[in-house]
Amino acid sequence: MATEAAPMDEKAKRMRDLLSSFYAPDPSISTSGSSISASFDNINSTSFDADQYMDLMIKKSNLEVLLQRHVQMAAEIKNLDTDLQMLVYENYNKFISATDTIKRMKSNIFGMEGNMDQLLHKIMSVQSRSDGVNTSLFEKREHIEKLHRTRNLLRKVQFIYDLPARLQKCIKSETYGDAVRFYIGAMPILKVYGDTSFQDCRRASEEAIEIIIKNLQTKLFSDSESIQARAEAAVLLKQLDVPVDSLKDKLLEKLEQSLDGLQIKPEEASLLAEHNDSSNDAESNEQLPAKIHEDAVRGFSEAMRAYREIFPDSEERLFKLAKALTAMHFENLELYIRKRVSAADFLRIFRIIWEDVILMDEVLPEAELSDLSAEAAQVTVKKFVARTFSHLQQDISDTILKFDINQKEAVEEEVLKVVLEASKKAGIQGTTDIFQDFRQLLDENIGIFVKMKDLIIGWIQNGFQDFFRSLEAQFLALSGKTSSSKDIEGGLVEGKSSDKIHAGLILVLAQLSVFVEQKVIPRVSEEIAASFSGGNSQAFENGPAFIPGELCRVFHAASEKLLQHYIDTRTQKISVLLRKRFKTPNWVKHKEPREVHMYVDMFLHELEEVGKEVKQVLPQGTFRKHKRTDSNGSNTTTSSRSNTLHNDKMTRSNSQRARSQLFETHLAKLFKQKVEIFTKVEFTQESVVTTTVKLCLKSLQEYVRLQTFNRSGFQQIQLDIQFLKAPLKETVEDEAAIDFLLDEVIVAASERCLDVIPLEPPILDKLIQAKLAKSKEHNNNNNNTVSS
Amino acid sequence: MQGGSSGIGYGLKYQARCISDVKADKDHTSFLTGTLSLKEENEVHLLRLSSGGSELLCEGLFSHPNEIWDLASCPFDQRIFSTVFSTGDSFGAAVWQIPEPYGQSNSSTLECVASLDAHVGKINCVLWCPSGKSDKLISMDEQNLVLWSLDSSKQSAEVLYKESAGMRHSLSGGAWNPHDLNSVAATSESSIQFWDLRTMKKVNSIERAHVRNVNYNLKREHILVSADDESGIHIWDLRKAKVPVQELPGHTHWTWAVRCNPEYEELILSVGTDSAVNLWFASASSEKKTSESLVEASRLRVNPLLNSYTDYEDSVYGLAWSSREPWIFASLSYDGRVVIESVKPFLPRR
Repeated sequence: MATEAAPMDEKAKRMRDLLSSFYAPDPSISTSGSSISASFDNINSTSFDADQYMDLMIKKSNLEVLLQRHVQMAAEIKNLDTDLQMLVYENYNKFISATDTIKRMKSNIFGMEGNMDQLLHKIMSVQSRSDGVNTSLFEKREHIEKLHRTRNLLRKVQFIYDLPARLQKCIKSETYGDAVRFYIGAMPILKVYGDTSFQDCRRASEEAIEIIIKNLQTKLFSDSESIQARAEAAVLLKQLDVPVDSLKDKLLEKLEQSLDGLQIKPEEASLLAEHNDSSNDAESNEQLPAKIHEDAVRGFSEAMRAYREIFPDSEERLFKLAKALTAMHFENLELYIRKRVSAADFLRIFRIIWEDVILMDEVLPEAELSDLSAEAAQVTVKKFVARTFSHLQQDISDTILKFDINQKEAVEEEVLKVVLEASKKAGIQGTTDIFQDFRQLLDENIGIFVKMKDLIIGWIQNGFQDFFRSLEAQFLALSGKTSSSKDIEGGLVEGKSSDKIHAGLILVLAQLSVFVEQKVIPRVSEEIAASFSGGNSQAFENGPAFIPGELCRVFHAASEKLLQHYIDTRTQKISVLLRKRFKTPNWVKHKEPREVHMYVDMFLHELEEVGKEVKQVLPQGTFRKHKRTDSNGSNTTTSSRSNTLHNDKMTRSNSQRARSQLFETHLAKLFKQKVEIFTKVEFTQESVVTTTVKLCLKSLQEYVRLQTFNRSGFQQIQLDIQFLKAPLKETVEDEAAIDFLLDEVIVAASERCLDVIPLEPPILDKLIQAKLAKSKEHNNNNNNTVSS
Repeated sequence: MQGGSSGIGYGLKYQARCISDVKADKDHTSFLTGTLSLKEENEVHLLRLSSGGSELLCEGLFSHPNEIWDLASCPFDQRIFSTVFSTGDSFGAAVWQIPEPYGQSNSSTLECVASLDAHVGKINCVLWCPSGKSDKLISMDEQNLVLWSLDSSKQSAEVLYKESAGMRHSLSGGAWNPHDLNSVAATSESSIQFWDLRTMKKVNSIERAHVRNVNYNLKREHILVSADDESGIHIWDLRKAKVPVQELPGHTHWTWAVRCNPEYEELILSVGTDSAVNLWFASASSEKKTSESLVEASRLRVNPLLNSYTDYEDSVYGLAWSSREPWIFASLSYDGRVVIESVKPFLPRR
């Protein structure tokens, strides 16, 4: 099939070439197209040479091929012949049909010229007739037109004659607008003929107009008239060419004066806000100040609109007025929020102002009031946010300081607890309120607030950051931890000398810091994440926004600092006590101990106070029970060890004693694991008390080391310490450390003693029992006096 | 030596409170220390740091008649030093000379140059004039301030002035201003007092209770550092003495002594009864630092504590910088252990 298809194709191609060469106007083009395949043996090319082709054929091919070629060629020639015949026949056909068509056209055109002539003739006759009609009617039409003109003239004359009367009528009915319209209509005629034929008319109407002008002017200046009516009067006057500039000035002055009436004075603002509140259920009440205000502003803006139309050149002044009003509004708002104002009230006033602004903006869009007020609003809202925060801070510090007056009772009655709870509540409640307020700000859908949303969020975040920072600073300042340098510049604590603050309050502040760190800040950050996020992009420009992590760190540090400070102030007090005890007597000439010394009582009393304060404020340590049993176990071992140490000491001869004793203490220290005296303070009752006791005992040891004792002096110390042992252990968590420290004191005293002979245990016991009995009796007496 | 401390240790036989740098010894880094034992024979040790700085050698061991409460080396003669001592019920002060040739342990008796015996009460300290040449001395007891003129050749000391501070102020110690040789600071129960030696009058005071130790900054005039029992370390500018320039937290328990480095003005050492030596970096000793920037600094929470050396068994009372190698200091804990440490890793970059 393929071999058949190829020659078929070739054949068709040659046919096409032939046809195209036949029809082509220039044979050279067609040949150039097919010359790619053309060679001298191509039968279709123009350069085909039959002889040469023949030669080539004969040379190249055998007989069979030649015969084949012959047959093929003969068939092709026959084909070509029929093709040519077909072509000739078709062309002939077309020629014949063309000839037919031409013949038909010729027969159709014949006779058309006569019809045309007929048509022309008829049109000519129509035209001549219409001309006839036109001329016959012309005269009548002219006449009608003339009559009409006369009638108009007559009417005008009539109007002018009637004018005075009409004007009078208008004056009577006070329709000055119509009067002015009539008069202005008649003006051109009166101007031309006023000196001749219409003299009387003119005079009369002018008189009437005079009256009208006068009336209008009085109307313009009368306060009783509505502003709109007055504005209309002004328009009319202007139409009558009365000079209005002076009028304008007067009017604007009046408008300026009316500004005062529109002020929302801070005193009234609260009233306004309150009444607005109740306006829902008393809609009909016309006396509502908000409504009155609204009407006033509406009137004001109407007047402005009117004036603007009347006096186009006075815009500047109106702008100024409008701006002044806006500025005044915002100033007053600022004054208003200087007092404590809830966000709802603030928003209410703000809304009123904003409505005013919008009203005026409608009238005077060119005054760019919205821009101006947007700026002012930003400033005000920012201030409002800042003020809210400062109020919160004030609240918290107020609650803390409120109870400060009765200091002495602070220990007895649970004042500290009350303070702590109150300030905790103030903190939580305050932040909740603040969030509510701010949420209201954000929910507000006044245009400006929507625009400022991001800004407000930024301010709020920044506000919280600053708030917590300054709260921390205030806590530290309140505690008196930061020395006087801060008090001088700060003045945070108004009038209160910070260094006289009660120690318990420092504890409260410490615990409060923990509370802020653990409760308030996470809450705030949660809230911020929930409803105040997204403002970041703006806020980042002016410093970082709310960073809870940093604040937590700050407060954590502050709480530790404050707790440390509390312990410091407490130990300082005890230290003074101890100092006096050790500085005053001559220890080298001490008399034999008769009883436990007074200072022990005072020391214990101070500790008791600490315990009470701590109990009010701090949480209990969770592992107390567990620890106690633990240390009880170890306690027995340590005490037994120290006892053996003492017994050893007693048995030694005097000369050898000191040296061996020192050696022994060193040895004991080597084998005893080093007792960690100064551990980190935790926020539990026990930890604070323990730390205080430890520090005091260490001080005691140091004071002892600075003295030199005789035998009796040493015995006195021994007695005091022995007495302290029991009550201290009761109050304290880490008994091992206390034991260690108490032993240290005795060791220190023995080292500093010229003649170490300890008291016999029975005597020691007896003296202690005596003291216990005495203190019990004392307590009983006290209780009795209290109960009676 | 146990524990991970990098310091060089040396053990005294008995408990001890005081150690002093031998400033006049220009060839070696040496320290003098004396023991505090009520009942035993007390000793004065002359310690020298070996040239490699790796060993602390005892160059001399001298017996001292009584327990030593204060010891100060003479700034111009390395063989002379002063002590304050106690016999148990009474106090005394004296200037001693180390016998020649020192360094051989067999000559163990000190020569008494002069006895400063104008006191009755508890003597606190003896101060040498810091100029390094003058032979003036000040001794202090609880009520009195005595200025001595020492004549070492004649083996005597003369009282130049004696002034009572009054019964109410019990003096506890002091420091001689190295920048103004006529001024001495004395600590009392309720204040730091400043005495003018020309008139022997109190000219100024800083109201501050329970100051235990004061030290002048050797590099910066007008800067004084004080250590309190409870409230840590305060740095004062004497021209604006109302408010401290800076506060450092001090120690967990009492801060016993402070010493400014003789060369690096920002470095301050303190020792405390919490068995620790703390090295502080007090950049605020510069006068430009105002209170605002102080607040700012506390905001930034820069920790001024460079290092805390805690490898002590007992309270540390003695502390001295070496003036020859100012990055070395000696500390002495109550159990008689001298530890030499180098602060080289913490030196400020210049």
